[in-house]
Amino acid sequence: MSWRIITPVILLCLSISCKRETSKLTFAVGGAPSEIEYWAEIAREFTDSTKIDIILLRQPTDTDQRRQGLVIPLRAKKSDPDVFLMDVVWVSQFAASGWLESLDPGVETRALDLSKFFSSIVEQVDTYQDQIISLPVYNDCGILYYRSDLLQKYDIRPPTTWHELVHSATLIQEKERLKNPQFYGFVWQGAQYEGLICSFLEFITSNNGSIFNSSHNLVLPTPRNISALDLMKKMIHEHKISPPNTYTEMKEEEVRLSFENGNALYERNWPYAWGLHTRPESPIKKNVAVTLIPKASAGRHVAALGGWHVGISRFSDNKKQAMEFLKYIVSYAIQKKLAIDLGWNPGRSDLYDDTEIREKIPHIEVLKRAFENSVARPNLPYYPEISEILQKYINAALSAKLSSSVALAKAQAEIEEIVKRYHE
Amino acid sequence: MSRELKEAIIFIMPLVLFIASFILIPVLGTFWNSLWLDVPFVARKFVGLQSYFRLVSDEQFWQATLFTTTFALVSVLIEMIFGTIIALVLNERIRMRGLLRGIALIPWAIPSVIGARVWQLIYRYDYGIANWVLQKIGLASVNWFGSPLGSFAALVLADVWRTTPFVAIIILAGLQTVRGDVLEQAQVDGANMFQRFFKITMPMIKPIIIVALLFRTIDALRVFDLVYVLTGGGPGGATTSISLYGYKFFLLGDFGYGSTVSVILFILALVLAVLYIRIGKLRAS
Repeated sequence: MSWRIITPVILLCLSISCKRETSKLTFAVGGAPSEIEYWAEIAREFTDSTKIDIILLRQPTDTDQRRQGLVIPLRAKKSDPDVFLMDVVWVSQFAASGWLESLDPGVETRALDLSKFFSSIVEQVDTYQDQIISLPVYNDCGILYYRSDLLQKYDIRPPTTWHELVHSATLIQEKERLKNPQFYGFVWQGAQYEGLICSFLEFITSNNGSIFNSSHNLVLPTPRNISALDLMKKMIHEHKISPPNTYTEMKEEEVRLSFENGNALYERNWPYAWGLHTRPESPIKKNVAVTLIPKASAGRHVAALGGWHVGISRFSDNKKQAMEFLKYIVSYAIQKKLAIDLGWNPGRSDLYDDTEIREKIPHIEVLKRAFENSVARPNLPYYPEISEILQKYINAALSAKLSSSVALAKAQAEIEEIVKRYHE
Repeated sequence: MSRELKEAIIFIMPLVLFIASFILIPVLGTFWNSLWLDVPFVARKFVGLQSYFRLVSDEQFWQATLFTTTFALVSVLIEMIFGTIIALVLNERIRMRGLLRGIALIPWAIPSVIGARVWQLIYRYDYGIANWVLQKIGLASVNWFGSPLGSFAALVLADVWRTTPFVAIIILAGLQTVRGDVLEQAQVDGANMFQRFFKITMPMIKPIIIVALLFRTIDALRVFDLVYVLTGGGPGGATTSISLYGYKFFLLGDFGYGSTVSVILFILALVLAVLYIRIGKLRAS
């Protein structure tokens, strides 16, 4: 096991030490092959207009592999890649490791205009020790998909509170089961993985709960968090509007397929599912609509934040050109191209009022409101460790192995150990 | 230096270099790494055995150790029993023996991640084959990965399916060294089938059984791909294996602690290997 990891690391380090001189920019980007091809085209256009050469460092689709592909050269202080995309949850770790160049000079000279981005996102993700260290290229957040035909059939309005959701899901599920025994009211991500944290964050925050309070103290076993986790459990075990495999198998794709095959009334998912739900061969293509994630009656609408942000390496040997390229990527024109050609939700907020984009992505109004109310996962360099522990205990609570209060108290104790370790 | 010695060194050198660069250096490097606080966002510092103390009070690590050892024990035991039975059958002069031997090896020839994906399609709650069969015979669907025991059993079954052929083929090789005339003589003397197996065949193939046990136990202790694909360590961390646990720390960026977990897994496998080889030698002499 250890050799399998260490050996490639050593080999890579050896290859990294053979440093080569280059005045070209290296841009690391991953994703689906078609997306990488699209980036190659954007890079070519940039080279044509600026005469700055770009080498595209093609990364895999898998998020964890993309992260490793960046961590290894950055740990070795390698000058390449100069510019790269980061998942929203890596940004603070990369910043705290001292790998990200401050973008403040660009902001000060007004080359980068922060007012064109969602302030909630820039504050929660792109700010580290009062400096701007990255900018959003692509925003992502949780939204609620629903079957417009079924709600119409039973004369029910899209839910705005969790109570309304449970109520209508129970009712419609009972009726629809007569025709389709596989039918469930509400499907969401509950398996033991990162997506579970996003679901959990939405449930607790919409109930006015939180993981850390405003003075940065860990506050997991609070009444608000416990009742939110109880609601998640009840949906599976008591109301039975969410299937039993919610906590064992339900990740994004499982949830999407269940909804798309007509087996669910409501679905919590990311905006990517829209394109798939509405493609010509989808069984529900005409009957899907989106709204904000419901809230507790005294709570507020929230959406867990995802997405990809662009940053410049502290070790880059071409910082000036790198800044040019970064500016280009977050420019109105390129962001619009990405939105229209790839269906990406722009990182810039001003594009959400663009008429062409509104035509292309009709539900962008809902997305805009979701981003304005977005809540990021804890912005801490050791967040991944916190996430691992939370995943384990929330999943244990969902499986009914632990009560909500015990699960959160245990998670609190274990996470406190970690916080202590890094703050001593 | 004599010419003979020089030649010997030249011939041995490639092997020594290979072992040193691909086994010795990584193992020592991992051990060295485990003595450091090695997290990218904190200044790297030497902490000695601190990570090992942390391990002792790490509940999840003990949970992973318990799961991994139980998994290895149960699955290897079942694989040895079934492997031996299959080997005995394939050693008989039956029709289409060559074809059967080939078919028996198929699960072992399938890459384990692909095998795990196939098992995922069997166990899936909503459209898995297992639940489809249950529904056809009028039973309710089962959420196979819903309980720790269910997940454990599902993982053991998938592992047994994949590696029993490996055990069978090794034991079959051993069986072919057992001389037929000895067994025939025993039969003439009135020994029944079980007596012949336990009194003659078993002792003769004992070294081979030890080899199969050694390979299988070490392999089972390192179980990663099956768990990674099928349960991801769930529900609630109940099926996290030691290697999956260590891997998660490498992913999180805690290279020091990840190395510590790997070192413990290495020591566990090493101790078992030495133990098996000792037992094998004692019996052989």
